[in-house]
Amino acid sequence: MWFQAVRVEKAPHVFRDTPFRVKTRRLLATAKEVFSRVSTAFGATLIILMLGMAIFAPLLVEPNARGAYQMPRDLSAVAVPPGTPGHPLGTTRLGGDVLYGIVWGSRLSLQLSLYVVSGAVLIGLIVGSTAGLLGGKVDAFLMRVVDIFLSVPELIFPLAIAAILGPSFINIVVALAVIMWARYARIIRSQILQVREEDYVEAARAIGDSRFGIIRRDILPNSMAPVAVQATLDMGHAVLFGATLAFIGLAVAGQAEWGTLVSEGQADIIAGRWWTSTFPGAMVFLWALSFNLVGDGLRDVLDPRTEGR
Amino acid sequence: MHRYIARRLLAFPFVIVAVSILVFSLTRLGGTTIGPYLEPGMTDQEIAALEERFNLDEPLPMQYLAWLGGVFRGELGWSAVAAAPVTVVFRQKIAASIELGVAAVLWAVTLGVGLGTFAARRRNRLPDQLSSVFAVGGASMPTFWLGIVLLIIFWAYLGWFPHGRSDPDIWSSISHPTGFYVIDAVVAGSFQALKDAVWHMVLPALTLGYAAVGIVTRMMRSSLLEEMGKDYVDAARARGLPERLVVRRHARRNAFIPTITVIGLSIGIIFEGSVVVETIFGWPGLGNWMADSVLSGDQATTLAFVIFTSVLFLTINMAVDVTYGYLDRRVVLRKS
Repeated sequence: MWFQAVRVEKAPHVFRDTPFRVKTRRLLATAKEVFSRVSTAFGATLIILMLGMAIFAPLLVEPNARGAYQMPRDLSAVAVPPGTPGHPLGTTRLGGDVLYGIVWGSRLSLQLSLYVVSGAVLIGLIVGSTAGLLGGKVDAFLMRVVDIFLSVPELIFPLAIAAILGPSFINIVVALAVIMWARYARIIRSQILQVREEDYVEAARAIGDSRFGIIRRDILPNSMAPVAVQATLDMGHAVLFGATLAFIGLAVAGQAEWGTLVSEGQADIIAGRWWTSTFPGAMVFLWALSFNLVGDGLRDVLDPRTEGR
Repeated sequence: MHRYIARRLLAFPFVIVAVSILVFSLTRLGGTTIGPYLEPGMTDQEIAALEERFNLDEPLPMQYLAWLGGVFRGELGWSAVAAAPVTVVFRQKIAASIELGVAAVLWAVTLGVGLGTFAARRRNRLPDQLSSVFAVGGASMPTFWLGIVLLIIFWAYLGWFPHGRSDPDIWSSISHPTGFYVIDAVVAGSFQALKDAVWHMVLPALTLGYAAVGIVTRMMRSSLLEEMGKDYVDAARARGLPERLVVRRHARRNAFIPTITVIGLSIGIIFEGSVVVETIFGWPGLGNWMADSVLSGDQATTLAFVIFTSVLFLTINMAVDVTYGYLDRRVVLRKS
């Protein structure tokens, strides 16, 4: 057949493949599979839009001179409805521009989720790999600790911690990371135990690779798929829980933070000002939804065994 | 199996003690917890007397032991927010929370089971995908926002539903022997009070339950799909039973078994959500009290609430595991 002939003619480039090219192509194929589902593609588009908003915030809305994350006060336009010139989404009863809060709030949310997830992954990586690689009593002890952290309520516990540390952005980060690491520790440990038995690790051992080299080159990279799935889901959870804590009152008042804005807009409901709470809360929902959709899509492709746990 | 249950039961008190030590040391991390008990114009002697009364002058491990001793005597400390012993307030407030929680669980399970069945019968078609988006939406929904949006629409604009737990006039018109408003209304035979109780519960229960709809829907859908692939379903079809009855009488009954275990998890989710929902709707329950306590640094209440929630979660998790193991074993026995 003619098209096979063309294929054969093109074939030689395969032999010029570098490991980088192979990896890239494999990554692209996986990405294509992941994003072929409508809901995942929708979530990914939303994520890109919101990340763009967070990264380019200074270009979209001019930062407040008194601090970029502080809500500006336009006293000439207090509590104006959406559509007012200069305030497309309206203002709060203190003259804070709702659009400003949404744009700069996305930056805070991005920071929050990145800090929480990287902190949790780091602690989980240290605890999980220590348990998985050392085994024995260390493993048994660390896993009991993990069990305790997994069994405490994941909203009430951070709520208590954040309350004790005092209201601030960084304390919310700490409170969430302190609870979220346990799941990563468990995932990484079980992955290590599983990957350790694979043929390629044995092969690496046979050709005399050092123990650390095997861990770094073979074991860790191959146990990363479920971690990536969980991290994607937690990017959404971190903002959802963080905004909930902020809503209850554990963030700094007057900040351009979505949960805080919803909380401060609560008093506007009776006055008929629906916009001050509705828009920032919708952003929290979209953020959590998009990361959940992409996380679910990733799980189905990368880690099909745990589907619908 | 019995050994497994026994091991879980034996480990249970140790886990509770570990959690309580963890939480206790955390609540003392911020230094002394005397703050909320102080009043302006107190003399040094009065403050010292207060410290002695709450054991705050002793080293931390002794404070913990004093607290633990109190737990065994049925005392959980003094709630500064409610100006009463924690245990007393707890008993007063828990009925309101349970009432709301039960309504939320009922709504979450009814909708979840219905939607799961609906989605499974239309697998991979548009209704299935829409229902999965609805389910993921529940898991991504900030409860505080959903509550506020519902309040804006149905309370502030349309005026269809009220705010709070009861109309004070109707509430005081009947006696409250149980503390559960719905039950009290039925006991008193007052239709007006029953209507008032249910009417106030609609919005908060909808908000609270939606967070748990997702997991019930997913479990119902996947377990029903699994059942539909089994031989007995084919046999029922071969006997000429209409598809609707095959699902309702055969497959769905068996699909309920794994779904029951998620209902346990949904109770946990709903209990956690109550902190936010009760605050928004002005519902006088545990969650509302907890939110106030957290903000005013009332450590005795915070500690009691966190421990209570942890015990609840541990119990639910264990019950779920044991039920699952038991159900699994029965399935295995039946096969052999």
